[in-house]
Amino acid sequence: MNQLVVSVLASEDPFVSHHWLLPETGEIIYGGLASVIVVGALVKFAGPMVKKSFADRTARIQKQLDDAAAAKVTADGDAKNIRAALGDIASERARILAEADAQAAAVLAEGQARIISEIAELEAKAEADINAARGRGSDELRNEITVLASRATPLVVAATLNEQAHKDLVEGFISKVGAGR
Amino acid sequence: MSNAKVKAYAQALFAIAQAEGAADAISNELYAVARAYESSDDLRNVLGDATIPSERRLQVVEQLIGTRANRATVQIVSMIVASGQVRDLPAVFDEVVALSSAGNDQDLAEVRSAVALTDDQQTRLAVALSKATGKTVNLKVVVDPSVIGGLVATVGDKVIDDTVRTRLDNLKTRI
Repeated sequence: MNQLVVSVLASEDPFVSHHWLLPETGEIIYGGLASVIVVGALVKFAGPMVKKSFADRTARIQKQLDDAAAAKVTADGDAKNIRAALGDIASERARILAEADAQAAAVLAEGQARIISEIAELEAKAEADINAARGRGSDELRNEITVLASRATPLVVAATLNEQAHKDLVEGFISKVGAGR
Repeated sequence: MSNAKVKAYAQALFAIAQAEGAADAISNELYAVARAYESSDDLRNVLGDATIPSERRLQVVEQLIGTRANRATVQIVSMIVASGQVRDLPAVFDEVVALSSAGNDQDLAEVRSAVALTDDQQTRLAVALSKATGKTVNLKVVVDPSVIGGLVATVGDKVIDDTVRTRLDNLKTRI
């Protein structure tokens, strides 16, 4: 150490450093003072700004955290409402389906009853029509037979009346008229 | 022709028949002509057709009864045909027969039969009808095949019907 101080002091040449690594003492002093001044100025003038900046950032982050919490609460509420609504929709859907099923069953039953009634009515009408047609056919046939018989009978009777029959009829008339009084 | 006109014609024709002294025979012939006119469509068409000249129609009359009937009968029928009153010929001639019957104190008895009656049957029938009606009848027999069988007699308003036709009609009505 003594050797080092001696060597430093021995080299008085301003263009020659006392040490290849360490600065001169004056430079250390003035450099240190300048650094203290700069740091002090930074602390005095930039410190509040940095501090405010950190505070603002903290507040912003806190606000974001609060907003996120509020959004989560809102989302939870919405989710609850949606779940409730989904439950209502399901029950409404079930109610509508049940009502539709009931109505369909009622319509089906009514339709079946109406169709059965109409079929019975049609069958009865067809039966009546058949009977009426049968009756008409019978009546027409009977009338036709009567007409034909009434036309044929005189011809047949006239053809079967021989001379003796005519004579008997005439004699019968004379006898009846003569005996009438 | 009205009923009064028919009676007037009949009285005039009956007077002619009486004047000829053969009222019964002429009335019988007029009755036969009336029945022939009623039963024959051809005769009605020819005698009643105004488009046929009257000379032609009178020729028909002459051909039909000219040689078989009393001359007065032919003239009476010809007069009716020529006067255009042929449609009333049956009514007029029936009235003549009724007048003739009344002149003999008889009622006209028209009998319709499907077959011709013998003289014996007509005599017995006239007697039977006289007994039935209480009046002497002037029997006129008309052969009418439409009665089929049996007889129907009309004396004044009285009708005695025992024909097969009527029996069949009654049967048909019951059916």
